Amino acid sequence: MTAAVANANGGPSKLTSYLADETRFAHIDKVLDRRGPWTDERFVGGKETKDFLRTQSKILVIGAGGLGCEILQNLALSGFNNIHVIDMDTIDISNLNRQFLFREADVGKSKALCAAEFVMKRVPGVKVTAYHGKIQDHPQSFYAQFNIVVAGLDSISARRWINATLVQMAQEDEENLKPLIDGGFKGQARVILPTVTSCYECSIDMLTPPTAFPICTIANTPRLPEHCIEWASVLEWPKVFKDKKLDTDDPDHIEWLYRQASARAAQFKIEGVTWALTQGVVKNIIPAIASTNAIIAASCCNEALKIATACAPFLNNYMMYVGNDSVYTYTFEHEKRPECPVCGGESLTADVGRDWTLERFIDSLIARQDLQISRPSLSTSRGALYWPSPPDVHEATKPNLEKLLVDLLIEDDGITVLDPALPVSLSITVNFL
Amino acid sequence: MPVSSPSTVERRPTKITKMDDSIDVVQATTGTSDIPSYRPDAKTRRYDRQLRLWASAGQRSLEQARVLLIGCDATGCQALKNLVLPGISHFTILSPQLTSAQDVATNFFLHPDSVGSSIAKESVKYLKELNPSVEGAARLDDPASLLLSDPEFFLSFTLIVASNLEPSTVLQLADLLWDASSTVGGPDIPLIVIRNSGFVGRVEIQLREHSVVDTHPDTTHTLRLDAPFPSLEQHARSLDYSSMDSMEHSHIPWVILLVRAASLWKESHGGLIPQTSEEKTEFKELLKSEKQKGDEENYDEALAQSYRVWSKSEVPWELKQLLEDDTVNNVSVNSKNLHILLHALGRYVSSPPHLPPTAPSLPDMHSSTTSYIALQNLYKTQYQQDLSRFQALLVAVLNNVGLPEDAIPQEEVESFVRNVGGVGVIKGTPLRESREGKGALQDEIANFDEEVDSATCFGMYLALLASERFYATHSRWPGTTPSEDMAKDSREVEDIVKGVVGKQDEFSDILVESIGEVVRGGFSTIPTTAAFLGGVVAQEAIKLVTNQYTPLDNTVIVNLVKSESAKFKF
Repeated sequence: MTAAVANANGGPSKLTSYLADETRFAHIDKVLDRRGPWTDERFVGGKETKDFLRTQSKILVIGAGGLGCEILQNLALSGFNNIHVIDMDTIDISNLNRQFLFREADVGKSKALCAAEFVMKRVPGVKVTAYHGKIQDHPQSFYAQFNIVVAGLDSISARRWINATLVQMAQEDEENLKPLIDGGFKGQARVILPTVTSCYECSIDMLTPPTAFPICTIANTPRLPEHCIEWASVLEWPKVFKDKKLDTDDPDHIEWLYRQASARAAQFKIEGVTWALTQGVVKNIIPAIASTNAIIAASCCNEALKIATACAPFLNNYMMYVGNDSVYTYTFEHEKRPECPVCGGESLTADVGRDWTLERFIDSLIARQDLQISRPSLSTSRGALYWPSPPDVHEATKPNLEKLLVDLLIEDDGITVLDPALPVSLSITVNFL
Repeated sequence: MPVSSPSTVERRPTKITKMDDSIDVVQATTGTSDIPSYRPDAKTRRYDRQLRLWASAGQRSLEQARVLLIGCDATGCQALKNLVLPGISHFTILSPQLTSAQDVATNFFLHPDSVGSSIAKESVKYLKELNPSVEGAARLDDPASLLLSDPEFFLSFTLIVASNLEPSTVLQLADLLWDASSTVGGPDIPLIVIRNSGFVGRVEIQLREHSVVDTHPDTTHTLRLDAPFPSLEQHARSLDYSSMDSMEHSHIPWVILLVRAASLWKESHGGLIPQTSEEKTEFKELLKSEKQKGDEENYDEALAQSYRVWSKSEVPWELKQLLEDDTVNNVSVNSKNLHILLHALGRYVSSPPHLPPTAPSLPDMHSSTTSYIALQNLYKTQYQQDLSRFQALLVAVLNNVGLPEDAIPQEEVESFVRNVGGVGVIKGTPLRESREGKGALQDEIANFDEEVDSATCFGMYLALLASERFYATHSRWPGTTPSEDMAKDSREVEDIVKGVVGKQDEFSDILVESIGEVVRGGFSTIPTTAAFLGGVVAQEAIKLVTNQYTPLDNTVIVNLVKSESAKFKF
């Protein structure tokens, strides 16, 4: 369609003359040619600054969803002409109320590819390279090619991974320090200079833990519609379908849960089980709209522009936006955590009672807000203490759970913890009380 | 909301548990087959993530909204994008301009092919693509002329956004809308005004009065532990703890434990709830002594919540203010529904127990299902009774003012009564007043402190205000001529600001810097600033259109050099 219009208006020459016209950037050039009262010493301004932004810089966008679509738009318009984007997801109809680079006909297609194609079509002159896949599948050398990484992710584990990767790269070689700009769909924008500022892992204890309903409530004393839905998904589904995995994206599966939950609710005279609530509970859906995403993504890209050009000081280092009650932002410096498993130098100390079994110790680790782990494997320098997998090691180490930790360790034994959620291994010094 | 019929209850598919792994999920639902599906349709699925924020009532309002954007720039189009996506009914863009290459380079809803064509038509075309159910139109008149020739045009919209318009046109428009809202029954159309310069942005909202039907407060419960309604107190007092087994005892909801303990306390303390800290400690000790075992979770919850016994149930302060307002006290046939409802509420709380209606909701708590549901039913029944009493008073009010008894839809009455704690009203001021630098602005100047966080944003507000006066004399914005003149423009803007603040000698560095940054921006539209402001504008527009959540009242300054913002009420 665009091509037809172009021809009707005089063909590609219109595009050629547009791209040749450097004055088209007059708006943004106001702040790239001129220094402001707070502009940093290192700002050069003019051609050199603009050349770096428009021809030399290479920026990576992680996530092409709610934040990602906005980020790609803003970076392209800001003059970042070499953009790369990674996303493993495909487009769902429920994305269309905010992920504005996608249309109904795109449902089922790769988000990264679709978004890249759209941006290149709409903003000629920009090159967007798309990768449909997981960030974990790319080696460090891949990440080393970029000047800045902007993350617009809804997955906590993916954010922990990219954060740890970039911190490790900076620790190994200062030249490889890549600013990470992290946008959070709940309203946060932050600038992380790996090893210099606080990192994503430093603030992991700020995450609110997901609402967990006690099993006994679900099984015996349901009171809320949510309890009935949890009963259907946590207890009934495995009972009925054995090893078949619940697919929360499959409407037939949701339908089954909805019916089970409705029946249980009726039995207990509980009101309020609906399709939407069922889906919301089992998928842990967080409401999302275009306007909130727009604000956070704009803030992230504004920081990217400031970092790439030095035209204004960048955020140090955290901004939150809350929109329920008027317009509210809070900007502050989040402090580094010295015992951060990713960027801190100090090892973690755990106070342990002499009567604690290994199992109790593991439960205490799982409960820690500053760790956020769920299936840890514990070892000492002499071997495995407890590993949940593989099955043979699990069998061999299971008996240790009952034993007292004080009996399992010898003097100065440190414990090394690995966990699927933890991007690095964690050393814990045990302090018996 | 759909709930299955009780007949399905005993037919949970226990036999299915014996089936093998290859079971088809659809077939497995046979045990509950008479529960209707309610599987969401395509539209519900498209809007799922937003329906969880403002529900179908909010969506209905949004789908009736007609939005006008005046000035077709990147900021305005970003705001429209965030309104077209969630599904407003209609938008019109009003601009006589032709598209320039500079427009294309900042605005995602243009293309190099648009250069030379009507910018309004081009942006409408690209914005409409975002949502097939939204209608878009372009109007190519000059806004200032249209204000004179066809003011009615502007009054046909639900909400108007003016993006980086000439200051004099903005004021004419603001006057038109303010005057229209002053006539009885006239439209009260919110006007959102945007101004941006480089990293700096300002968003202002003018409206005469805005009602919020649901502020979405953190808690909506009215537990009334200190002043229980009779059926709640009777229920709590009728329980015989000593006859309960330990299972039953440990599952009494904490609300019951506290209502009963408070009721017993009042009996022996002249009808008063615990007052002093000694009494409060004693109350808690008494409660603790009821425990049959150490680990009764319901008692732990009750102890943690016991402060609610001595936090007095009363009409919330904000609501009291609303009830005392003239528009609520003096209702007539022309009054808004909300004013009449609040008037009836005023009468409602004037008789005992002098409290707003009971909410039908209850927080979750450690309890057996039956005790919890029984308690929930007590609150629901009381809500129904309170609703009836309220409706009787409302009918009397409607009769008095000469309106039919069904003048306010039942759904609106019920939602009002259920949500009394989440009602709010915002009273606006005319934009002209703040432009003339009267009242609140002078207070803000008098209290100016360069140490407070909002000092820079306030300086930027003054800089924008002064720049508009600069524009009035020069017909151009400061910072728009070649760079050499930037310092000269800044000094002139500083002089105007000095005139506004009335202090010639001690001029804060923060003010000089704020002015410097605004002038440096040269009133240009940076894509990231445009996107940020577009997000803010749309967010507030959605609140205004849905009457949910509390909107900005009335000015916010965004400073993207320091990634901060500050609000002001002028």
